[in-house]
Amino acid sequence: MGHYIIRRLVISIPVTFGIALITFILLNVIPGDPVALMMKDHISADVVARVRAQMQLDDPAYIRFFRFIWNALHGDFGVSYKLNRSVSSLLMDAFPNTLILAISGALVSWIIGIPAGVLSAVKKRSFLDNSIMGFSLLGVSIPVFWAGLLFQYIFAFWLGILPVSGFDGPEYLIMPAIVLGWSSAGTISRLTRSSLLEVMRNDYIRTARAKGNLELKVVINHALKNAMLPVVTVMALQVAGLLSGAVITETVFGIPGIGRIAVNAIQNRDMPLLQGAVMFTTVLVILGNLVADVLYSLLDPRIKYD
Amino acid sequence: MNKNRKSIFSFVLIPIILATTVLSGCGNSASSDKMITTSEISDPGTTDVQKTTSEYTIPLNIYDRLVEAITVSPGKSELVPGLAESWEVSPDGLKYTFHIRKDVKFHNGEILKADDVLYTFDRMLDPATKALNTDFLDMIAGAKDRMDGKANSVSGIKVIDDNTIEITLAKAFAPFLANLATPAGSIYNRKATTEAGEQFGIDPQKTIGTGPFKMKSWALNDTVVLVSNPDYFQGAPKIDGVNIKIVPDAETNRIMFETGKLDIFNLSNSASQIPQFRDNEKWKNSIVSGPIVGLYYYALNEDIKPLDDVRIRKALQMSIDRQTLLDKLYYGEGQLVHGISPPGLLGYNPELPKIEYNPEKAKQLLTEAGYPNGFDMEIVQTTDSPNTLKINEAVQAMLQKVGVRVKITQIDESTYFATRQVGKLPSNQNEWSADYNDPDNFFYTFFSQKNSKVRSYNYNNLEVNAKLEKARTMVDQTERIKLYQEMEKTIAQEDAAWIPLFALNQLFVVQPRVKNFQVAWNGWSSMSYYGLEIVEAK
Repeated sequence: MGHYIIRRLVISIPVTFGIALITFILLNVIPGDPVALMMKDHISADVVARVRAQMQLDDPAYIRFFRFIWNALHGDFGVSYKLNRSVSSLLMDAFPNTLILAISGALVSWIIGIPAGVLSAVKKRSFLDNSIMGFSLLGVSIPVFWAGLLFQYIFAFWLGILPVSGFDGPEYLIMPAIVLGWSSAGTISRLTRSSLLEVMRNDYIRTARAKGNLELKVVINHALKNAMLPVVTVMALQVAGLLSGAVITETVFGIPGIGRIAVNAIQNRDMPLLQGAVMFTTVLVILGNLVADVLYSLLDPRIKYD
Repeated sequence: MNKNRKSIFSFVLIPIILATTVLSGCGNSASSDKMITTSEISDPGTTDVQKTTSEYTIPLNIYDRLVEAITVSPGKSELVPGLAESWEVSPDGLKYTFHIRKDVKFHNGEILKADDVLYTFDRMLDPATKALNTDFLDMIAGAKDRMDGKANSVSGIKVIDDNTIEITLAKAFAPFLANLATPAGSIYNRKATTEAGEQFGIDPQKTIGTGPFKMKSWALNDTVVLVSNPDYFQGAPKIDGVNIKIVPDAETNRIMFETGKLDIFNLSNSASQIPQFRDNEKWKNSIVSGPIVGLYYYALNEDIKPLDDVRIRKALQMSIDRQTLLDKLYYGEGQLVHGISPPGLLGYNPELPKIEYNPEKAKQLLTEAGYPNGFDMEIVQTTDSPNTLKINEAVQAMLQKVGVRVKITQIDESTYFATRQVGKLPSNQNEWSADYNDPDNFFYTFFSQKNSKVRSYNYNNLEVNAKLEKARTMVDQTERIKLYQEMEKTIAQEDAAWIPLFALNQLFVVQPRVKNFQVAWNGWSSMSYYGLEIVEAK
């Protein structure tokens, strides 16, 4: 297992480099000038020319790329054009907020999704099953921004029991976590349902029932553990995805996380910040995948990595 | 089975309900005591005015300037002494001698001296600063050499004594005083700013000014907290401070205001909501409006055929029913502008002939110009600008009536500004409000040869350009204004270089507990909160 993990980590080095290169090329191909954008309506040709030279933006692209790689290898991702702070500190400051949101969102989706999937499978083709599947379809289909505004309207404006926007305490987390969790709860519940139905057809389930076990015990102890394999994979990837920033949720609820930073960086052609954010999320997704694979083998002893 | 279902339900739902109930009790953290809460759409990134050309809310509250532009009545401004208690200008308009107040303390306790002014202006022009706002000071003698790295100081700035500083200009520049009253003229403390290095304008504890508020904390993309400065030289503010929330979503902003989480809501950002507030019993008396020294306009790119033909540009001016746009889209909150200067700007000419709405005459002009069946025209705007799209679509329909087929293209902001600065951006709707109250801020900004190119007008009237350069240096204000009024007719009406639309009123809705709120003369939502009061704690 140790060898496997090391091998995977080594393979991730060229992947990371490749992504750095692709991001850099994309940023240089799309039109846009960060200095013109910083000055917007107060544009002055002389100032743009001078500041571009001062920021070394006029150097050839390959020199800028290798300068970025060289500095990144030394742990220096540069300074954000727009926010004037070091990219590393910006990402490190935003990451805890994204982490808290991601974990809460994921927890909500698991707490709703898994039991809902189990109930649906146990009561398949019943009214309850249809209602739960309908509800999860709604969660998957409703755009997050719309669900966000709807929740804000009901809980903040109408009932006045939750804060509208910001990130000043646990109560600020309730709406974004539910909105975020609801959308992925749909996926989790549908996956749990289909996987559980598949497992419930196996002989060992019939055996478990024949032994006189309670249905709940059969489902939870015997079926669910095996049915969870594909669900765990999705869960691990889901967390990795959420960690790269739930852009829309962060915008609607005013949460200062990675997603908002990345989107602002794209809008502002803030190359150092965007490069840093992409590198950061790349590493998270690679690690998320690795964790999913490792969990897989822990849950299913038949799967071995050499 | 029934029992099992119950247990699963209790496992899932009870914690959620409990968490919601317990935590919701803490949800009402509205603006407390004597703190004002406002919002901005994006994080300013820095409060160092030398490194930004917009987002001036914090700078206007934590720094002061030698001269200040204050709002004396709606839409009217006046230059008054700020950190300089008085000044003299030499008859040739070249030398400015400022007498600095003796009783001004920076937030770190240091006393303001002339040397701080020298340091601040030199820092702006020092190439190491990578400043974006150098345009406001580049008329000082020796500024160019300093910016080009050919000199280690600015020859035109001299400290006479601790309270006197002399600034000499390379050539006379009539709006110099007004220039110094812009946020770019904010004065820093040499010691604090040098010690802070790159952290100046970023680290609240290291960002030192003389202003009525001090920076207390800054949670990026979340909240900036300013607290009142009890030692402020004009007396401590009557409020304890200001919470500036960063709220990117317009709808979220509105809900926050209506639920009492914000004290001030800028209604002008969402014109469609004007009737909603104006017709609402609860809010209609809380709307504060004021004319602004600024205007909406259409920029026309003369490099794109057939806009190089003045008859075509005049036809476009006459094809747009501006009064209808103003009434239908902005609920009549403003007034038409027929030239370049909006009402309230120094030298505004109310006698300027009106640009009439006359589609018939427009058709004649198009025929004369060789386009009896009209032509295809592109109007560009940034994506995510629903208000601009509305006005563009209305204009598209109006121009259709004279045969001009408009295609509206939406591009992202970065591409928009990058295309514009190389002179290739097609016609577009935009707005401008004054940085300083002087015609130069409108005429030179748009129609001087070099600015006309980077703003994609490509208006090339060399005679006008020479007059614009001359007007900047004129000392006789009466003659100068006369020249601007003459140029206004040439540029906007004879040459039809742009399509002026209207000067809109700026509307804010303010919670009843906030008193003394007034719209800044230039209509900026970035404003000083110094004069505000709170009459009742929530």
